[in-house]
Amino acid sequence: MKSHERGILSRYDFNRLNVKLIYGFMVLITVVMVITMLYPIFSTLFNAVKSNQEVNSFPPHFLPQGSWHWENFTKGWNYIPLPTFLKNTLLIFVGNMVATVVVTGMAAYSLSRLRLPKKQLISFFFMMTLFIPPTTYLIPNFLNLQDLGLLNSYWAFWLPAGANAYYLLLLKSFFDSLHSELFEAGRIDGASELRCFLQIAIPLSIPIFSTLAIFVFSTAWNEWFWPSMVMHSDKMYPLATAIYKYIVNARMLDLNIRFSILTMIMLPPIVVFLLFQRFIIGGLHLGGVKG
Amino acid sequence: MQNSTLQVQPPSEVKKSDSGLTRWLRKYFWGIAFLLPAAVIFILFLWMPIIKGFFYSFYQVDFVKGNTYVGLDNYKAALEDPVLLKAIGNTLYYVFLGLLIGFVVPIFFAIMISELRKFQGFVRVSAYLPNVIPLVVLYSVWRWFYDSVGPINGTLTQVGAEKVNFLTDPSWSMISLVLMETWQQFGAAMLIYLAAVLSIPRDWYEASEIDGAGVWQRIWHITLPSIRNLIVLMFILQLIAASQGFQSQLAVLDGGPNNATMTYALLIVKYATTRLNLGVATALGVMMFLVLGLLSLVQYRLNKEVN
Repeated sequence: MKSHERGILSRYDFNRLNVKLIYGFMVLITVVMVITMLYPIFSTLFNAVKSNQEVNSFPPHFLPQGSWHWENFTKGWNYIPLPTFLKNTLLIFVGNMVATVVVTGMAAYSLSRLRLPKKQLISFFFMMTLFIPPTTYLIPNFLNLQDLGLLNSYWAFWLPAGANAYYLLLLKSFFDSLHSELFEAGRIDGASELRCFLQIAIPLSIPIFSTLAIFVFSTAWNEWFWPSMVMHSDKMYPLATAIYKYIVNARMLDLNIRFSILTMIMLPPIVVFLLFQRFIIGGLHLGGVKG
Repeated sequence: MQNSTLQVQPPSEVKKSDSGLTRWLRKYFWGIAFLLPAAVIFILFLWMPIIKGFFYSFYQVDFVKGNTYVGLDNYKAALEDPVLLKAIGNTLYYVFLGLLIGFVVPIFFAIMISELRKFQGFVRVSAYLPNVIPLVVLYSVWRWFYDSVGPINGTLTQVGAEKVNFLTDPSWSMISLVLMETWQQFGAAMLIYLAAVLSIPRDWYEASEIDGAGVWQRIWHITLPSIRNLIVLMFILQLIAASQGFQSQLAVLDGGPNNATMTYALLIVKYATTRLNLGVATALGVMMFLVLGLLSLVQYRLNKEVN
C-alpha cells in the first residue's frame, strides 16, 4: 500500500521516545486483539479432536495433549442427518441467489439504465423499506406468509429474497458505474433491452454478483430464527436451525462431539471468506458508504 | 363517429391523442417491464406485512376461528403486562452496554491499524474473521466459554480470583451477551472506519505536522473530524440495530435468568411463539415502529448528508 509512506505518524515522529513507547503499547493491544479474535476459533477446532474426558477437564487447556481423535468428526456427522440439512441450506441459497439476480438485478438495471416515469418516486418506494426496522413487522411478516399459503415451503425464502432494497442499491450503483457507450453500441446493433441486460450488463457485473453471492450465502448459512418460525417439519430445516434445535440445546451430547459438529459448520464460511476476501471487503466498503 | 364533425377534425389530432398512451408505453415499456417483478415482490413481501401489522394489531388473531376485531384490547393487554417495563429497561440497558463496550472499540482499532506498517492485511482479516462464524456456532462456543468449568473461569481460578457466573448471574448475563456480540461484530464496523481513515489525504497530516501539531492533535483535529459523519451514522445504525436485538438473548438464555435478558423484541417473539397471542405481538411491533421510526428518520437525513 502506497499510503504507508506516511500515515498520521511520520518518520520524524518515531525519533521521539514517548511516541515510540505509546506506539509500541498500541501494537501490543492490537496483538492482544488479534489473539482474542483467533483464540475462540482455534479452541473450537482443537476441542473437536480432544477426547471427551480431556475436553471436560478443568481448567481446560488450549492444545489437545493426548492423541487427536479424528473419529469425532465421523460421530458428529452421523449424530444428526447433516447432509439433509446441508442440502436444504444450499437449496435456499441457490433459490435466493436466482431471485436476487433476476428480480433485483432487473429492477436495478431498470432504475439505472432505462427510461422510467417518476423515477424518484419509484426509487423512494423501494428505498423507504430500508428505513423500516424489520423486527417491527416480524410477526405480520409471518402472518402474511401464512395468508399467502407459503409457510413450510421454500418459496417463503425464495420469493422474499428478491425484496432486498440494500442489494438493489448495491446493484444500481454498480450499473451506474458502467459505461453507457457499451449499451448504446448494443442498441445501435439492434439488441433489445433484454439482450442488453443479459449479454452486456450481467457479464460485466460478475464482481458485484460475486459479492452478493457471498452475502446471500452467509445469510442462508447463518439464519436460524426465521426458518424456525416458517418451517414446521424437521426435514425442511436449514443447517443453522437444525443446529440450534438439536445441538445448541442438546443435553445428552458429548462435548467433544458437539465441538466437532460446530467445527464442520464453521469451516465452510471461513474458507469462503478467506478465498473471496476481496469481494467481501469491497462489498463492506460499498455498504459502509451507502449505509 | 355519429356526427360528421368528427370527420372534419384533422385526422392527425385524433391519431395524436390516441398515440399518447402508446407512445408513453413505447417509451417506458422496457423500464416498467424490468421493474414489475421487483415491484410485485416488494409489495407482497415488504409493504403488505408493514401495513398488515397496523391492521392485525386491532384484531385477535386466531388460526382456527378466524380473526375478530377487538379494538384497542391488544394495546391494553401489552401495556398492562408487568414484563413490558422490565423489557424496555433491559433493551435500553442492552443498547447502552453495546455503545459503551462496542462503539469506541472499532474506531480505536481502525486508527491503530491504519498506522500499522506491517501485517496490516493479517490483522484486518483476523479482526473480521469472527464475523463469518455462524451465529449458532457463536452461541454454542461462547456458552462453553462462559461455563463455570469453561476456559474463562479456568483462568480466573488459576490466578486465584473468584469464579463468575457469567450467564446465570442476572447482573452479568446481559454484559456477557454484549461482550460475545462485540467479539463477533466489531470487525465489520472497524473495516468501514478503516476505509474512511485511509481515504484521508496524507498531505493534511504533512501540513499540520509542519505547523507543529503533535500526534494527538493530528488525530483530534484531522482524523476524527474527517470521519465525523460516518461516526454519527454508525451510532444511529447501532442504536436502531441494538434496539431490535433478541436473537442471542433467545438462543443463549431464552430471556432468563429471571427475565434479565428479556428485551422488547424478545417479548414480541415470546408473545407470538409461547404465549400464542399474535395480536398483542403485532401491537407491540406497532409501538416499536412508532419509536424507532423517529430514529429512522434521523438516519435517513444523515444518510443523505453522508452521501
